[in-house]
Amino acid sequence: MKKILILSAFCSSILLASSEVEDLKMQLLQQSEMIKALTQRLDKLEEEKSPYSENIASSGFDTSMMQGTQTANASFSQNAYLPDIALIINSSAVGRNIDNVDYSAYSTPGFIDTDPNKEIPFNPDRGFNLNYAEVAMYSAVDPYFDAFAIFHMRAADFEIDEAYVSTRDLPYGLKVKAGKFKSAFGRYNEKHQHAWEFSEQPIVYSGFFGPEGLSDPGVQLQWVAPTDTYLMLGVEAMQGTNEQSFAYAKTNNLYNTYVKSSVDVTEDTSVLAGISYIHGKNLEGNTDIYAADLTVQTQLDSYRSLAWQSEYMYRNREQNIKTARQDGMYTQLVYDINQNYSMGARYDILMKNNLGDKNLDMYTAMVEYKPFEFSRLRLEYSLDKSKYYGGEQKDVQQLMLELNIAVGAHGAHSY
Amino acid sequence: MKFLLFLMLTLASVYASLNVQTTYTSLGEIAKKVGGDKVSVNVLANPHYDPHFIVPKPSLISKLRRADVLIINGAGLELGWLPPLLKGAHNGKIRPGAKGFIDVSNAIKLQNIPATVSRAFGDVHSQGNPHYMLDPYSVIPAARLIASKLSAVDESNAEYYHENLDKFLKNWKIYLKGLDTKMRGCKEKNVVQYHELFNYFLNRYQYKSYGNIEPLPGVSPSSKHTLALINTIQSKKVNMILQDVYHNQKTAKFIAQKAGVKFLILPHDVGAVDKTDSLEKFYTVISNKICQ
Repeated sequence: MKKILILSAFCSSILLASSEVEDLKMQLLQQSEMIKALTQRLDKLEEEKSPYSENIASSGFDTSMMQGTQTANASFSQNAYLPDIALIINSSAVGRNIDNVDYSAYSTPGFIDTDPNKEIPFNPDRGFNLNYAEVAMYSAVDPYFDAFAIFHMRAADFEIDEAYVSTRDLPYGLKVKAGKFKSAFGRYNEKHQHAWEFSEQPIVYSGFFGPEGLSDPGVQLQWVAPTDTYLMLGVEAMQGTNEQSFAYAKTNNLYNTYVKSSVDVTEDTSVLAGISYIHGKNLEGNTDIYAADLTVQTQLDSYRSLAWQSEYMYRNREQNIKTARQDGMYTQLVYDINQNYSMGARYDILMKNNLGDKNLDMYTAMVEYKPFEFSRLRLEYSLDKSKYYGGEQKDVQQLMLELNIAVGAHGAHSY
Repeated sequence: MKFLLFLMLTLASVYASLNVQTTYTSLGEIAKKVGGDKVSVNVLANPHYDPHFIVPKPSLISKLRRADVLIINGAGLELGWLPPLLKGAHNGKIRPGAKGFIDVSNAIKLQNIPATVSRAFGDVHSQGNPHYMLDPYSVIPAARLIASKLSAVDESNAEYYHENLDKFLKNWKIYLKGLDTKMRGCKEKNVVQYHELFNYFLNRYQYKSYGNIEPLPGVSPSSKHTLALINTIQSKKVNMILQDVYHNQKTAKFIAQKAGVKFLILPHDVGAVDKTDSLEKFYTVISNKICQ
């Protein structure tokens, strides 16, 4: 019985297979005929095409004929849902009066401790640096959420710089963000390195928050007021892993509040001002940071503009022995000369830095050439007086040529 | 509770006109014609500036925050400045795809659609040339789309919008007839442009554009390209160079002088030069300058 069953199954499978081959042959024949018909049609269309045929609408093809060949691929195609993807590459050539072994062992008394294995993510080496390749992705998730992520890659490192979900459609001008993101307080913090006006971070940021700025998992709520004057209010609750100001290991501890407002003084001149309050815990007590920023931008024509931007921060950090009270600021001026060239200068200073009266400061100047919107060459010189080596302050002079490109679906930058 | 909500909604609809924001001035003019006194129209971009690069001032965010309707040119023209503003405005009513978001390029048959798109060719728009408002005939489909979209957002005034539309289109067709007659008399029809900005107007009235001062869209002029262009101008008997108001005029003037051809500054939008503060005046100024 069993044998008969197997035999009959075998026979029928052969039969079925041969009929399948027949089917396939038929399909092939049909398809080759279809292709023939299509190429004939194409030839005919091409003959009809006049040399100035740009105005003819693209509906020249008879879609009913194409259907047979298209549906097989299109039925389950999700290509249209691919997120916007952009790639950013940043590299530099650096000349510096301190060699690479010594450079990373610097300290900034009261702010950054000596640690020879300190992470210096941008332009660490005298000579050539590939700073990073960054992949940015954006897409709507569904009618309710947008998703955004930036993957930051270095030669031996992979990092999720940001990955968050934000709401699309909350009423009353509200928006919620959740995931890992850069805090939107102040001016520099939220921007990625490639969008900074200067290649080096302001020393008040590196001193208070380190190279990454204030970036953590958390939630953010922002509200834009329904007023003629721009008024935005934001609150954030974040993990508080930042070692330089917070890092209270026991639980989440960081809360940020900020207000930003902007008015147009004239049609071409606008002022943006913000104040922020950041509260968190370090291992020995509370840390409170108060910050203020002011940006004035005036547009001279489509491609020429002048932007003056400053930020000030004050930190109160409770420690076992005494409370450290420190502050710092930077002020910068950038002039866009035309579509291709910009130049700028920045002055940074750290004050009340546990060293009595001595302030630590830094001077930076840059010239930028943009052959096109998506590529940029920047020559930057800096004289940094904030770094100490073996207890001695040492001037760090640096000349750097940085190349930055952005390809793919890279969104426009905000104000 | 429901009654209160209803009352508030009716009150709001009686007293508040529809807040309409448009990216550019010509779209604003059409929205005013169609919307009449049921809408208040504001234009985001200053027409003196390059429409590709408008500074995304925070004040523009507060304008979008309260908008009921946003009318954009589309086809990539706002790509460099509008998305961050929309993102900051937190306004679901005018989100792309929402009822209050109107992309006028959807109503237009775009020209110069590139066969292949790469940034190696400069700032090419994959959807086609976005400067379709330079064609006075584009006003008709644009006005129709705006009327139907306004009616969808504000159903109670749908009839009013369509009456305005009919009135406006009737007058516009009369204006076009006059313009066509005038343009039929033009003799000199060979031009060179700074950027492919006037193509739609040129194609409408059978002008021929023999090249651009910028070597590639969005790329600044180079001396090699300029010299080649002077040769083209001489061999093709080009009559005039068309320049916009926002690019540097140095190269165009140099070429005009070297090749001995006319140099004209044309408005690219309503209000870009003096005495172009209405749609009619805008197209009339272009035709007066170009048709001599």
